[in-house]
Amino acid sequence: MVRGAGRGGRGIPGRGGMGRPPFSRPRVLMLRPPFDLILAEPAFPRCKPAPDDAALTQALLKRHAELCPTPTEQSAVLSIVTKLQTVLDNLVVAPGDFAACQLEEVRQVGSYKKGTMMAGKNVADIVVIMKTLPTKEAVEGLSNKVNEELNKLMRAEGLGNVSSTCHERGFTVTAATAAVRVLVTTLHQNLRKLEPEVHLDYKVISSHLAAIRHSRWFEENAHHSSIKVLIRLLRDMCARHSGLEPLTPWMIDLLAHHCIMNNPARQALPINVAFRRSLSLLAGGLFLPGCAGLPDPCEAAHSRAHTALDLAAQDHAAATAQTLLRVVARGGHRYVLGLQAFEGGKDISTEITVWDGVVVSPLAPAYHDSPEPMDTEDKDDDGIQDGVAA
Amino acid sequence: MMAANNYFGFTHGGTQYGAATASAAYGGQTGYAVAPAATAATYGTQRAAATGYDTAYQAAAATQAAHAHAHAAAAAASAYDASKSAYYQQAAAAYPTAAPPQPQPAYDTTAKPAYSTPATYAQQYGQGGARGSGGAKPAYGSVYTATTAAASYPSQPYTAPAAQPAKQTANRGNSAYDTALYNAASMYVAQQKTGGGGSGWKNYNKSGVGATPQRRPKPQPKAQQLHYCDVCRISCAGPQTYKEHLEGQKHKKKEAAVKVAAAGGAAGARACGASALRCELCDVTCTGADAYAAHVRGIKHQKVVKLHTMLGKPIPSTEPTKLTPAKKTVAGAPKVSFVASGGLSTVGASSSVPRPADKEDEKVEEEDEPEVQPVGQDYIEEIRGDDGKALSFNCKLCDCKFNDPNAKEMHMKGRRHRLQYKKKVQPDLEVKVKPSMHQRKLAEAKAQRMLVRDELWARRRMHEAGEDDERAYWEGADWWRGPHHHHHHQGMGMGYGPVGRRPETSDDRHVLAKHAEIYPPEQQLQEIQRAVSHTEKALKSLSDALADHARPKNQAGKAVIKTEDKKDDKPEGKEDGRDNQLFSFVGEGEAAPASGDGAGAGGAGGAPVGGPGVRALKGVMRVGLLAKGLLLRGDRDVRLVVLCHDRPTVTLLKRVANDLPHHLNKVKGPNEDAKYKVELQPAEGAVQVSDGTVNVVVSLTSAVMREPAEGGDIKRDDKDVLPRQKCLDALAALRHAKWFQARAASLQSCVIIIRIMRDLCRRIPNWTPLNPYAMELLVSGVMQSASGALSPGEALRRVMEALAGGLILEHGPGLRDPCEKELVDALGNMPAQKREDLTASAQQFLRQIAFRQINKVLDMEPLPKVKHASGGWKFPRKRRRSNTDADQDTHNGDGKVVKTEEKADVSEINSNAKK
Repeated sequence: MVRGAGRGGRGIPGRGGMGRPPFSRPRVLMLRPPFDLILAEPAFPRCKPAPDDAALTQALLKRHAELCPTPTEQSAVLSIVTKLQTVLDNLVVAPGDFAACQLEEVRQVGSYKKGTMMAGKNVADIVVIMKTLPTKEAVEGLSNKVNEELNKLMRAEGLGNVSSTCHERGFTVTAATAAVRVLVTTLHQNLRKLEPEVHLDYKVISSHLAAIRHSRWFEENAHHSSIKVLIRLLRDMCARHSGLEPLTPWMIDLLAHHCIMNNPARQALPINVAFRRSLSLLAGGLFLPGCAGLPDPCEAAHSRAHTALDLAAQDHAAATAQTLLRVVARGGHRYVLGLQAFEGGKDISTEITVWDGVVVSPLAPAYHDSPEPMDTEDKDDDGIQDGVAA
Repeated sequence: MMAANNYFGFTHGGTQYGAATASAAYGGQTGYAVAPAATAATYGTQRAAATGYDTAYQAAAATQAAHAHAHAAAAAASAYDASKSAYYQQAAAAYPTAAPPQPQPAYDTTAKPAYSTPATYAQQYGQGGARGSGGAKPAYGSVYTATTAAASYPSQPYTAPAAQPAKQTANRGNSAYDTALYNAASMYVAQQKTGGGGSGWKNYNKSGVGATPQRRPKPQPKAQQLHYCDVCRISCAGPQTYKEHLEGQKHKKKEAAVKVAAAGGAAGARACGASALRCELCDVTCTGADAYAAHVRGIKHQKVVKLHTMLGKPIPSTEPTKLTPAKKTVAGAPKVSFVASGGLSTVGASSSVPRPADKEDEKVEEEDEPEVQPVGQDYIEEIRGDDGKALSFNCKLCDCKFNDPNAKEMHMKGRRHRLQYKKKVQPDLEVKVKPSMHQRKLAEAKAQRMLVRDELWARRRMHEAGEDDERAYWEGADWWRGPHHHHHHQGMGMGYGPVGRRPETSDDRHVLAKHAEIYPPEQQLQEIQRAVSHTEKALKSLSDALADHARPKNQAGKAVIKTEDKKDDKPEGKEDGRDNQLFSFVGEGEAAPASGDGAGAGGAGGAPVGGPGVRALKGVMRVGLLAKGLLLRGDRDVRLVVLCHDRPTVTLLKRVANDLPHHLNKVKGPNEDAKYKVELQPAEGAVQVSDGTVNVVVSLTSAVMREPAEGGDIKRDDKDVLPRQKCLDALAALRHAKWFQARAASLQSCVIIIRIMRDLCRRIPNWTPLNPYAMELLVSGVMQSASGALSPGEALRRVMEALAGGLILEHGPGLRDPCEKELVDALGNMPAQKREDLTASAQQFLRQIAFRQINKVLDMEPLPKVKHASGGWKFPRKRRRSNTDADQDTHNGDGKVVKTEEKADVSEINSNAKK
């Protein structure tokens, strides 16, 4: 729209060049944010004593302590990340005889950078921006070079060897106790030159670029430690419930930030309130089609964070969150948080449970793969348009 | 060898010069070898002559140098001239080292620190040469062709400077120098005469000489031991064979070819590619660096090198000479010299390019050449045989194979490979563009198209100026308003209102369709209206009667209630101050539609009193569904509340029940045949008026009931008073009705959604526990909290979102009852399991709504899609829709009336299967 205004106003001759006839603009979807109790508080004043959430708060904090990486782990990751960064920086500054690719920039991203690493997952992420196009051979060459250089460094310090394995996102350097995923991407202007059979996948490449933006956004907006606590708890929760698994770390980051910070007072909410709120928002359809969801601050205007999920996943995630919400409401938070395994590790969101005589049952999916064409068609349209709607 | 090298260096310069100036440089080569003494002598003479000149010399040299530059600048218009002077400087610089036999040490000993005599000479000659091209050439040329035309020479060195006034001052300033020059020149001439072969100097001096082919002597005289053919570059065993060779076909052919090539100028050279390389030694042209390298390694080349070494001839460096056709064209005339030279002198000059100017360019290019590094080594796969030896190579970028490592190397340097590499690996790789004819054509065509397109756009812009203005206006002003802009933008003349509401969605249409389905029919509404109206009138009439009857008695009891105005304040007491406001509002609102007879039954039970009397029944009011307008199809029960002055007693109720039929008959029109049956319900504290289809429940209550039950006051008539809770409920119903009309009814979509929700609660057991008032509170709260007006579809979804998010679960805030002073949860009595079930159900509904199955939530048939009349931006969609419509229609046309969700599912599957 903004672009359009510019065009209309200044009469830039490039109108035709954009390949969009004047009348075929995408439909504007006025999507509504979901019902959010925290924001709707004036309409629903509390008329009964606030529940005693001490137990929940305690459980949340306890679980978070379990999820935090130990100092040993942290230093292990730090050590390898520092070394790898050195190696890569050297390659950026002085490639020497290294000709497999040219590096533009190296950035730390992901949970390591954001300070949201989880215990037991000592994998840091580094994005390498290549000046050259990211062919599989270039990645392999870089991997070998990094491996070689890193091993030199490690030997110099008398540490164990590292090994490096390539995969479709780049390569992973694995040391004894920690690993670093090196995610390969390329410059923006090279994106359109990518060919599927020669280079890494376009989606992977652009997701790595997005990861850089995400880290920057996070640094600037989500440094509050409550957010990090909630992110750890949610990531752990999502990992343990199949329906929530498709949620990406980025969605969880945004959700946690929203739950902690987005309230009328603009002050960080207590962790128990924010945790309930996140479940309640998910259950209330925050990530369902037709909902404004959470706007992605790192993408073009009007794109929503959850459109990365397919419809079945959106349905499943919402249904899971709905069940978990009711379990937590019955006092089952210890299971939801993972402080206590449910009946030998079963997924509580798919089981019928009884709490003080109240039966909590899971929900059936609403989305069918092949409902009548009318339904999916519209939905799909929505999904696509969300992305481009200007 | 040393000499040879030096010689070569010198010759090299000389040849360049010679080539440039079209001189026949041949004579100089061998002559030089024998010349040193003479040259030394020349210099000696010069120096001797310059004893007096030494002082003048430096100045002269300086001026001349300056002059040379000035001249060069002056002649800059002609590249030829400029290049020449540049060249001379170069040659001069090369001079000292090039001619060690010449008395450089002597020069040094003369302690001229800035010894630049050679340079000076060079410049002098250079100027001469330059001048020659400008017109004085013949003169100079004759100087140095003195061998043949010696007679003319003496005067010419002097006339030549004279011909150029600009120079004269300088020249005049050092006449001594000129003399020396002259001497030197004469020495040369003499030397040339004696030596017969010319000298380095001669060669050097070839500057302006319009060399002629016939001047090129054959090398026979020199070929004493070796019989060397310059043209063919071979040696012959003896004079005999040499002679035979010279007469042979091959030699003649070559000679002719050389001549033709010379005559034809660059034609031959042009034919070869831009990057053709040439081995000067063998006179072989190679198409590329690799071919050249192969040649240099080859036996033929080695032979020639050996021969040349033996002969003491200069061996050009293996550095290839580049043939650049574009440059060749510059020097048309010099070509001749090239041809003529034929001999060894051409070795360094076969390119016959105006070297001086191009020297730099060439250097750049020569540097370029090695810069073409092989790229993409990583993408070459080696295919190894069993023994681990590389059998062949496969380039993954270009998808081609080679068996030869050399071919692989060449491929990696090749343009095609580099282009692929640029495309697939390193976008910023420099690949020289080959300006082929085809590409040029393409570029031209592209430019042409661009031009045409620009023009087209310009024209169209002009054409659409009006529209653009409009667009600019809307986009500038309110593009951010979203749909508004769009409607205006593309809806010109389409009759969109300025409000620009978004078109209704499928959800909206479903909700509205469902609403239309559950909305009570007109007839039902009329029946209810009539029954209620009659009941109210009858109650009023009854109240009048009671008032008349009871006035004396009551007057004493409650003196406070005197006037009608006060009545409004009093019955509700302090808590009802708020209600009071609403009461008056609602009462009038209620009364008006109730009946046109001015009875104002609900609003003013006391209105007809007329007098100050205190009546037992002060007023009647519609409450519940009727007052809120929430009646649905099939609803038969409505409620009225009669406010009593005092605590309503069973006695009073009985009296009402007894008297009401009489009054009902009285108010009923004579032509109305409704038969009312009045039924006493003491447990409910109410009487029920029924006309068979509509039941009107009339509850008696009084504001006094709300007052704290204390003291003997209550006990006094405890037994007779109607059940307290019922009375309070009736009062609450009154307040709820008022609240609803004040708050909920004004919210957009609220009433519609509450009706829909009522239907839901009626249909679905999980929802039944949700009491109507709580539901109303919930819906209105949800609507209120939305930032803007909601369409019906959105509103229903938002209600589901709120419930799905756990609003009514235990930890939620509860639903505060706004009609109570204390914090009362309107849902306080709901059991946990019911809350749980209700929440789960709402969660399921929410997802169904999100996935376009709102019809399942509403329990209705999915509506066919409508064609959006909203404009061109939905064209593709519209067409698709109409297709589905057709399908939908046929499906419906099957005559199946599907009622339940399950059946609908089945039919969907069927219809899918059909498709």
